[in-house]
Amino acid sequence: MKHKVVRKAVRMFAEAELAPIARDIDRDARFPWEVVEKMRPLQFFGLQAPKAYGGAGMDSISYAITIEEISRASAAVGLCLTVHNSVGVYPIVRFGTEEQKRKFLPAMTGGERIGAFCLTEANAGSDAGGVETTAIRDGRDYIINGTKIFVSNGGVCGMALIFAVTDPKNPQRSTGVFIVERNAPGFTVGEIEDLCGMRANPVSSLFLEECRVPEENLLGRPGDGIKIGLTALDTGRLGIAAQALGLAQAAFEDAVRYSKERQQFRKPISSFQTIQNYLADMATEVDAARLLLYRACAVKDSGRPFSAEAAMAKLYCSATATRVTNLAVQIHGGYGYSKEYDVERYFRDAKVTEIYEGTSEVQRMVIARAVLAQRT
Amino acid sequence: MLKMVVCIKQVPMVSELPWDPATGTLQRDLAEGMINPACRSALEAAIRIKAAKGGEIAAITMGPPMAEEVLREAIALGADRGVLLTDPKMAGADTAVTSFTLARAIEKVSPGFDLVLCGASTSDSETAQVGPQLAEELAIPGVAYVDEIEIQDGTVRVQRISDHFLETLEMDLPGLITVTTGLHAPHHVPLGGLQAAFDKADIVSLAAEDLGLDPERIGLKGSATRIINVYSPTAAKKNLVLTGAPKRVVEQLFERFDDKIGGAIGKDLKTDKRA
Repeated sequence: MKHKVVRKAVRMFAEAELAPIARDIDRDARFPWEVVEKMRPLQFFGLQAPKAYGGAGMDSISYAITIEEISRASAAVGLCLTVHNSVGVYPIVRFGTEEQKRKFLPAMTGGERIGAFCLTEANAGSDAGGVETTAIRDGRDYIINGTKIFVSNGGVCGMALIFAVTDPKNPQRSTGVFIVERNAPGFTVGEIEDLCGMRANPVSSLFLEECRVPEENLLGRPGDGIKIGLTALDTGRLGIAAQALGLAQAAFEDAVRYSKERQQFRKPISSFQTIQNYLADMATEVDAARLLLYRACAVKDSGRPFSAEAAMAKLYCSATATRVTNLAVQIHGGYGYSKEYDVERYFRDAKVTEIYEGTSEVQRMVIARAVLAQRT
Repeated sequence: MLKMVVCIKQVPMVSELPWDPATGTLQRDLAEGMINPACRSALEAAIRIKAAKGGEIAAITMGPPMAEEVLREAIALGADRGVLLTDPKMAGADTAVTSFTLARAIEKVSPGFDLVLCGASTSDSETAQVGPQLAEELAIPGVAYVDEIEIQDGTVRVQRISDHFLETLEMDLPGLITVTTGLHAPHHVPLGGLQAAFDKADIVSLAAEDLGLDPERIGLKGSATRIINVYSPTAAKKNLVLTGAPKRVVEQLFERFDDKIGGAIGKDLKTDKRA
């Protein structure tokens, strides 16, 4: 019952506040601060964070449903929330000291500071060990130098988790995660990327030039970075899977509606078997994706390892989003290729879900490792 | 402390609903439910009164077991506790029997209440009868269709629009008001509150026996009215498709509808054309 009520509450919010502007903010590549304003008191920025730090204390399925329903209206805003909650807030909840939690979390869970996760660089991404940004100790501070690219929420972040190596000679073992506030000296936000989809999310580069941060801002120990990153990404993948699922659901609903309205040969196109086959496949895949995702969430909440389950959910949900949005455009025909309908936006938004927070190739790597580690 | 009771009803989320031809009632179990919009405004009114004056809010609903959902939602929004009246014997109640059942439950769960708030009407039946009848059953004064509400010592002053007049009325407490959706636009449900409403919430479930109600007096059995027929009105619209180049389409539009278009823009197009 709880999950049903969560879905209803978030859907009512999304349909009232996001759906009417989703097309415009995509066209104008505008981040909707006015909606963020409304989301703050409802605790959208602290979905799974403990109540003691201003969070909503949600379980993982409720979390997935929330991201799914927001993304059903606007995947770009869904992206903002999943990045903020699962790879911005969560690593601090999981790895932060009590002092760090008290210092950084309330502003993040209250939505005053939006989080960003900065692993990807020109030569690092899928290869998390390839980070070249350096954080060199200077007394009680670290001096960070480097460039991060394709940072989701980059243009609007108030707090960034920066992956940097403390010993450039031994990058693998010295990767650390630093909490860097936007007003830190030497921290600059680059140009907003001109991307195919998710256009309402200001994805950007971040530049760190002689950026000085106190040692209290190091999350965990130097060398914990890769572990923290991979743990955060496991959770992040549930969020991206949920986002992809929301997109697929939206495209599926639009396709069903349109197929009943559109007449060809004096019949609605939904009466043709080819269209029915498309719809049947879409329905089945969306349902399978949803079950795979909720299973991964349930495993996470049970406290068991869930890396492989999260990777399967992310792999399948994102592939489903790409296929279902593609078919939705196909069913809409020429209109589907026009900006007059939402399906072209879903189609553009879907592709990147197979790329970020671990490409589909990386997900297969994670799944294969788990498969091969099992005794046969 | 001001003791408030808010009556809320779970209504179907969609207007097109299957209904039971045998009894002429809606098949509620097949639909997604939500808090009736005017009931949500009544709850919002109570929440605002509580914020200003303090007090306690008990949300009460009668319906199938799944109506518990709307109580959790009400608690997430700011109610202190929930009361669920659920019993197959209560099913199919008409408005008079619903008011009777609610009145007996309110007397039991909230003795000494000050103010009962109801939605002015429900989106699934629109009778607007339960609130006023409930005031009669509780033998307290009631005002329907209220917009503005001001609680003073022992009284409530309300405003409502009645036949294009703005009425200001005052009544002694305890009293009952039914609230419109006009001034009390509800808030969105806070997610942390929702989680808390499921982790830990004060909800009691009561059946007819718990209230000592005679099964002959309640539900479909006790109801004096029967729904003869429920149907979705079908609009018989005829589409007219104008074809040709845009200029020709516009010309046809004016040829056929110049009187209506002229009326809409406040011009006599026929006279204009002649001029």
